[in-house]
Amino acid sequence: MPERLDELTMARRVVAELRPGQVVALGAGLPGRVPEAMPPFATGTAPVQFLSESGVLGYVGPGESSRPGAGALVDSGGNPVALGPGGSLLSLGDLAGMLRGGAVDVAVIQPAQVSSGGDFISWTTAATPGIFAPGAAVDLAMGAQKVIALLPHTGSDGTRNLVADSSPLTDGRNCVNLIVTDVAALRVTEQGLELVEVAPGWTADDVAALTGAPLTVAPNLREMTLAWNDADADAATAGKVYPDGPAAIADLPEGATVMIDGFGGPGGMAHYLLVSLRDQGTGNLTIISNTAGIARSVNFGTPPGRLAIDHSILIDHRQVRKAIATYPVSPSASRPSSFELAYRRGEVELELVPQGTLAERLRAGGAGIAAFYTPTGVGTLIAEGKETRTIDGKDYILEEGLRADFCLIRGHKADTLGNVVYKGTSRNFNAVMAPAARITVVEVDEIVAPGELDPELIVTPGIYVNRIVKRPEDFSAYE
Amino acid sequence: MAQEKVYASPETALADVFEGAVILVAGFAGCEVPRLLLRGLADRGVGGLTCIFSHDAPANEPANASANESAVHGSVAQLVDKGLVRKLISPLPFAPGAGGVVEERWQSGALEIEIVPQGILAERLRAGGAGLGGVFLPTGVGTRFERGREKRSFQWGEALLESPLKADFGLLSVAAADTLGSVVYQGTGRNWAPVMAMAARVTIAEADRIVEPGGLDPEAIITPGIFVNRVIAAE
Repeated sequence: MPERLDELTMARRVVAELRPGQVVALGAGLPGRVPEAMPPFATGTAPVQFLSESGVLGYVGPGESSRPGAGALVDSGGNPVALGPGGSLLSLGDLAGMLRGGAVDVAVIQPAQVSSGGDFISWTTAATPGIFAPGAAVDLAMGAQKVIALLPHTGSDGTRNLVADSSPLTDGRNCVNLIVTDVAALRVTEQGLELVEVAPGWTADDVAALTGAPLTVAPNLREMTLAWNDADADAATAGKVYPDGPAAIADLPEGATVMIDGFGGPGGMAHYLLVSLRDQGTGNLTIISNTAGIARSVNFGTPPGRLAIDHSILIDHRQVRKAIATYPVSPSASRPSSFELAYRRGEVELELVPQGTLAERLRAGGAGIAAFYTPTGVGTLIAEGKETRTIDGKDYILEEGLRADFCLIRGHKADTLGNVVYKGTSRNFNAVMAPAARITVVEVDEIVAPGELDPELIVTPGIYVNRIVKRPEDFSAYE
Repeated sequence: MAQEKVYASPETALADVFEGAVILVAGFAGCEVPRLLLRGLADRGVGGLTCIFSHDAPANEPANASANESAVHGSVAQLVDKGLVRKLISPLPFAPGAGGVVEERWQSGALEIEIVPQGILAERLRAGGAGLGGVFLPTGVGTRFERGREKRSFQWGEALLESPLKADFGLLSVAAADTLGSVVYQGTGRNWAPVMAMAARVTIAEADRIVEPGGLDPEAIITPGIFVNRVIAAE
């Protein structure tokens, strides 16, 4: 038999699969070699952002080989890594939501076994007989858009690692898309495994002889691709900064569901984007927000003779069909809010959600949680039409996750990768909304280069932010 | 008032840990494992414990060396070795190939192990800390992790009902704490600590640095002091 590829060369085949700008989660074991196989990058941003099971986002290559201790940075396997410019840190709770919520483009895992249907058993499951501990492999494989299995084609005793039938021990069902081994690359298709590439010197027959599942051979079978393809590197990293508000929301469609941050007063709200949306005139919107606009009826320190900009400008402009909100009324009966008046006229619908439930539904939407039981609202109007369930002697109601087409948030500073920090109470709903929308647009006071924000201070990682605009310096939150 | 959270030693901070307590132990692959508190717990010697944790062996050291070192420096394995642990709940209770005393005790039937994948464990702890009655997760659908769980279809597909996890004590190692218990982490030291701090009735942090209130940047605080009940200095 011809020579098999070494680990680093296998990792280079994975690198050939990655595209600039992607977020790539790497499991323990062989996937830990992938950063080493990346080409060096000059300055600015790393071409892809690696994410580890330990909660490091945006790391590069191996780090200093120091003992794990205070301030250490380690990857999924506990090996030291270094943070790249624009990298940040996550708790394992945030990481779970990031993986499950679908924010990760590619996951690379090392299974002990993959079936022709794309089921897999993690190497850690196989290496802990009887206990069968998968670690985080289950999470990596179920949330990513594309899952690459990186493993030796056979065990050291000749066991076939690619098999026809799934095992009852499977850690993930129908989730592997591409298999990279030390002799071949194979796609998992609806018809089973398709051999697409072979290592130098190997033939389809050689590979088939080592495979425990039927293979089809791709008509254009070729030698393994090992080169990083940086064709659209610039587009992927520089493309998040938009020239102005109107450009950043130009494709926001009629009838869209839009999350808009803010608490009560005008603070921590994307006023500039709100004005852009009002001027764009897009209608039939469903807005998800805390108040649906009360700042202009409550004043909150608005200078005399002027009006605070908030959601009310969309209501007044008749762009809103429905609000999902917590506090859509003015606290003053004599000064009703725009939404209140429109509601009384029968022009808008309302879904009333308590503030904590709204926050939790947004987090669920961003974190891939379908639904949850919360005690909030039990025995009140909020519970109407919802399942009530007694768990361990306490009553809960079932609430579902919320997602949106667009999300307009307000940060203090962002780097060009979209990492955001907030200031004071302007954090409010921003951090929990950002992950829950298809397109998240952030309005900030200042845009900086990756690496200029303290990684320990980044609240919203850039993978949740699609577009960035700078709020014009002469822009006023009052009209 | 504030100073009441700062304890003089692991012994005083752990004085009310009782037989059969459920204990959360933060740390990932050797990073920010609360070794001082674990050693204190081993010295205290209360048994029947349930520990919820990820294996704490640094992966870049030879398996045997790390096992020996952990036994000296404080680890869940040390508690198991002393016969103080009844059950472990973990995504990966030991580094593969380095099962040591944990695997031995499990094989002899003296130790129960419940495997919960990492993301499910994180979410169950968060649910416990956030007062939720349960969460429907898509993780594990169609696999052995479906066993015993209610399955339902929602707008985004099938999901399994996972129950919240709460504990009696949570043990953390943190970069810095103020005397009100607010803490900041450094690097991968963050790992389980924020979700575990929320899910434990009594959370104890061993801190490399203890400062007065105001000594930490408010924008940088990850775990607010309301989730941390006791702080000790890490030597």
